Amino acid sequence: MTCGKMLCQECATQWDGIWHCAACLGVKRGAKVERSPVFSWLGVLFLSAVLLYTGARLMVWTAAVIASFF
Amino acid sequence: MIRSPLSITSVLDEATEAVSLTAAPWAGLLVVTALPYRFLQAVFLDQLIEVGAKASSYGHLLGGTANLIVLSLLVSLWGRAVYARACRLALGRRMTPGRDTWRVPAAAMVSYVLTSSLILFLGYVSVFTCVGVFVAAIFSGLAIGTMELNDRVSIAQPFRWIARHSRVPMQLALVFVFFCALIVALVNLAAAFGLVVWAVSGIGGFDAPHWNLLFAGGNRRFILMLIAGAFVAVEPFWIAANVVFVRKAGAEERGDDLRAWFDELRSAAL
Repeated sequence: MTCGKMLCQECATQWDGIWHCAACLGVKRGAKVERSPVFSWLGVLFLSAVLLYTGARLMVWTAAVIASFF
Repeated sequence: MIRSPLSITSVLDEATEAVSLTAAPWAGLLVVTALPYRFLQAVFLDQLIEVGAKASSYGHLLGGTANLIVLSLLVSLWGRAVYARACRLALGRRMTPGRDTWRVPAAAMVSYVLTSSLILFLGYVSVFTCVGVFVAAIFSGLAIGTMELNDRVSIAQPFRWIARHSRVPMQLALVFVFFCALIVALVNLAAAFGLVVWAVSGIGGFDAPHWNLLFAGGNRRFILMLIAGAFVAVEPFWIAANVVFVRKAGAEERGDDLRAWFDELRSAAL
């Protein structure tokens, strides 16, 4: 238990192999899971780079298709 | 402070006030960062018209200009982000914002680059459809308006903000208003160039007879530059209108507009 208080078996609940009291479990449930933003940054930067690169190629392709109509 | 409910007239009214508060130096920064992007677009179109139906044989030439356009777009996006922040700060403080305008949050900037690169991609994919351009314009406006709401980097969150603040009929009306503004800016720029050429021809000592040929409707490059200039001239108003729009749409969602209206009614009754 996180708080270290003595509890009977009936009042404790096991979570991830560790016994917790109701108050400690409540704190755990309320705790925000902070994920590392590194993967989000990498994902957004990679996706932006791909879209910009493809956008430039698409710009030329679209222009060539439109010009071929005239 | 939200003064009036969400409507096209109130958005345009407050956007004009925001532009007047941010004209110097922030609108100047926006114009300077937008110029390379708009003029490179004009160069691209000029090259395309020049090569005509043989465009597919000039892939390296057009591809090189397209790469430069994408690079200049990044500079332009930074300028737009700073200007959008300036508008938001000016609307909140009712005065010209100071140096803190430079501090655009990195998460907001990166999110804006993501949404703008998707707009660039979708814009060219949907160029053959009639509605694609309008959808891209609406999406682009919401992207700059919601930019500062992104306090953390995420692939999905910027698009959630855009979806939450979208009011399609009103935004179509806003796009139509700015399309008209673009034509008005184009006519004004052409008239301004004509006036300058006429005035300079009176001074003498310049090659004015040639100028009449260069600054005329027959010169394709002049027309393309005028169109680019019209876009640059309208851009501060477009960004300010979208920042105001998103603020008002957010206030409507939270009920702040009703609170402001009720306060106005109470103060009028007292």
